[in-house]
Amino acid sequence: MAAAEPYDAIIVGSGAGGGMSAYHLTRSGLKVLMLEAGRNYDPRVETPMYNINAEAPLRGASTPDKPFGFYDATVDGGWQVPNEPYTVAEGSEPFTWWRPRMLGGRTNHWGRISLRFGPLDFKPRSRDGLGADWPITYDDLAPWYDKTEKLVGVTGAGPPRNLFNTPDSPPGCLLEGPPPRAFETLYARAFEAMGIPVVPMHGAVVSQAMEGRNTCVFATPCGRGCAIGANFQSTTVLLPPAMATRNLTIVTNALVYQVDLDGAGKAKGVSYVDRVTGEHHSVTAKSVVLAAGSGETARILLNSRSAGFPDGLCNTHGMVGRYLMDSVGLGVRGQIPALAGLPPTNDDGMSVEHVYAPWWGYAKQKELGFPRGYHVEVGGGRQMPSMSLAGLLPDGDVSVGDALRQTLRHRYGSVIGFNGRGEMIPNDDCYCELDPGVKDKWGIPVLRFHWKWGESETKQAAHMVQTFLEAIDKLGGKPLGKVETDGRKAISKGGEMIHEVGTVRMGHDETDSVVNQYGQTWAVANLFVTDGAVLVSSPDKNPTLSILALAWRSSDHLATLARQGALR
Amino acid sequence: MTDEAPKYVSKIDRRTALTWIGVVGAATAAAGGGVVLYNHKTAGKPAAKGYGTDPNLLHPAKASWPRILTQDQLQAAAILADFILPASGTAPSASSLGVPDFIDEWVSAPYPDQLKDRPVIVDGLSKLSGDVLKADAAKRTAALAALPGSGFFKRFRALTIGAYYTTEAGFKDIGYTGNVARPSDPGPSAEVKAALDREFRKLGL
Repeated sequence: MAAAEPYDAIIVGSGAGGGMSAYHLTRSGLKVLMLEAGRNYDPRVETPMYNINAEAPLRGASTPDKPFGFYDATVDGGWQVPNEPYTVAEGSEPFTWWRPRMLGGRTNHWGRISLRFGPLDFKPRSRDGLGADWPITYDDLAPWYDKTEKLVGVTGAGPPRNLFNTPDSPPGCLLEGPPPRAFETLYARAFEAMGIPVVPMHGAVVSQAMEGRNTCVFATPCGRGCAIGANFQSTTVLLPPAMATRNLTIVTNALVYQVDLDGAGKAKGVSYVDRVTGEHHSVTAKSVVLAAGSGETARILLNSRSAGFPDGLCNTHGMVGRYLMDSVGLGVRGQIPALAGLPPTNDDGMSVEHVYAPWWGYAKQKELGFPRGYHVEVGGGRQMPSMSLAGLLPDGDVSVGDALRQTLRHRYGSVIGFNGRGEMIPNDDCYCELDPGVKDKWGIPVLRFHWKWGESETKQAAHMVQTFLEAIDKLGGKPLGKVETDGRKAISKGGEMIHEVGTVRMGHDETDSVVNQYGQTWAVANLFVTDGAVLVSSPDKNPTLSILALAWRSSDHLATLARQGALR
Repeated sequence: MTDEAPKYVSKIDRRTALTWIGVVGAATAAAGGGVVLYNHKTAGKPAAKGYGTDPNLLHPAKASWPRILTQDQLQAAAILADFILPASGTAPSASSLGVPDFIDEWVSAPYPDQLKDRPVIVDGLSKLSGDVLKADAAKRTAALAALPGSGFFKRFRALTIGAYYTTEAGFKDIGYTGNVARPSDPGPSAEVKAALDREFRKLGL
């Protein structure tokens, strides 16, 4: 079946990295075989766009089967995937790993925040001596950001702000976004009084129709997926045009575990197990692109052992699995009396925040006592009620009947949640390796994670809490629930922000990295990595847009090599 | 006129309920007669299963796990749910929206959060049923009035609020006007903006 055609490239994974690679390679005329570990998935016919919680089991509440709620798009996954365990090393801080098993991967449910990394984010070591510099600059990636924003459809256009290390997009890249909601207008005033600018969010949701895609209807959460293609999902934006070239074959339920080499040491293909039948298959191509997600990509390399690579493919210098990073994250919620009792209004808007606060403290990192910053995403408004609605009642309230109805109506929409997302500096204590004993259902060794937040991160987390408490106070509100002010306790678990990146990083040479600036592995010239594994740093800006732009740039290099006949 | 609380009639269909108690079959179903009879003893102890990691999201199936509340517990749940959210003006009562059935679905579910709630809610309802089902109006009122403040009440009220306001009737009551397609998002109305401006002045922002 899949092996019948002489493929130019095999792409492992169908999310941001794999989807973009398939988009560009097929449109460049390459014959591509895409292998996806999960099942086929079509948002156009599977998305519960306007379903209400009353129609769902348990009113849509979160369960271990659907950790982000019943209607979240994620299929066969979440913090645990059936039959596919992972472990966390003894003595490690907690680490948790979000995986879906569906075509399009995490692009189906992601938060759609699409911020460019800034010039400093590519040169962190030059900036303050911490972390490592990328082999590229912002200017190298900028044209690919431009192309990516135009293809993906990103809202947030506005006059240039010229904020430090927070790039404006050139005219024509972004679409007009919606105005701020009432609570967004309100918190922006408090932030501005604290010297924190609030600017339009860049969100991968379109405000005008694009080819094959409808414009946003300002209703129903993006996390469910989008049947009308108004937000960015690999399955609605990248894979349909790739399929239209007739150069793409997709095989689903194909769990790749190994890159196969030929006698000359070049990649000749990959081996996978069919998750449904349990059968093993090997397929061949002139090149291999790994885009299975930072964890799985590292796992595939580590499981690809041979005489030449006894510790795993491309791992001669022990770099595979190292420099695993996530974002620093935490949230504080507050009830704001100024928002209570406002006239009813439709706050649905775009699911993504309409505005946000980029990091504002570049000039005073020394006095702050931590080296890197965070941006703030704020949620709130009159959202569709869920099982957690009673949480907006005041502590100690025991009212019933009309008094209860009145309190609920009055306070509905008056709770806002401040969420920080910050930069993590890579450290030697955060990495993944193969577990020496545990295997998955098909006998393939699984990953074992090691995690330890550094002081740079926990101090930053403590600062987030103080910032949010100050804002809530300025707004005349009160924090809800117990607020942990110790950054070491308040900080998210490793992996919890689902921004795990950096296990196969790019660099200047093979002793300090696994791939070059084009995602091409130093050890095997026709083996590429185009997912978040190649990231050298993990700036506060959410990684997806950068993964897309890097994947496009790397795929273009691969396509050039293919044209030159330089792959095999 | 009787002094007893009105009997709660389950809002779920009979065949589904019979499936839960493990007696699906034409002969048994024929004996039902309109009101669903819950009987946890006939249910035995099947290993309850959740809905799995890939349920149909567009047309969700009814939660399939066996229900555990007894008829008395369910009746007590109806009385308490309507004590918390009785009919008021055009807003319907909690029981008329099927909240007691939802409480049963919740406490019967095989997931950690729900298993944690199960003993709290089931024990609370057992005790309450003794206090209210055969009681006259005065005793019933006294029993209900004594509840607020207990852990059972707090949790039951949170579940009732969640169950009630996640329905269309609940949206109307609380003032949720979204979940409708719009050609654009105009942002806050002039009325909302004016109200915010007043708040900004008060806050000195």
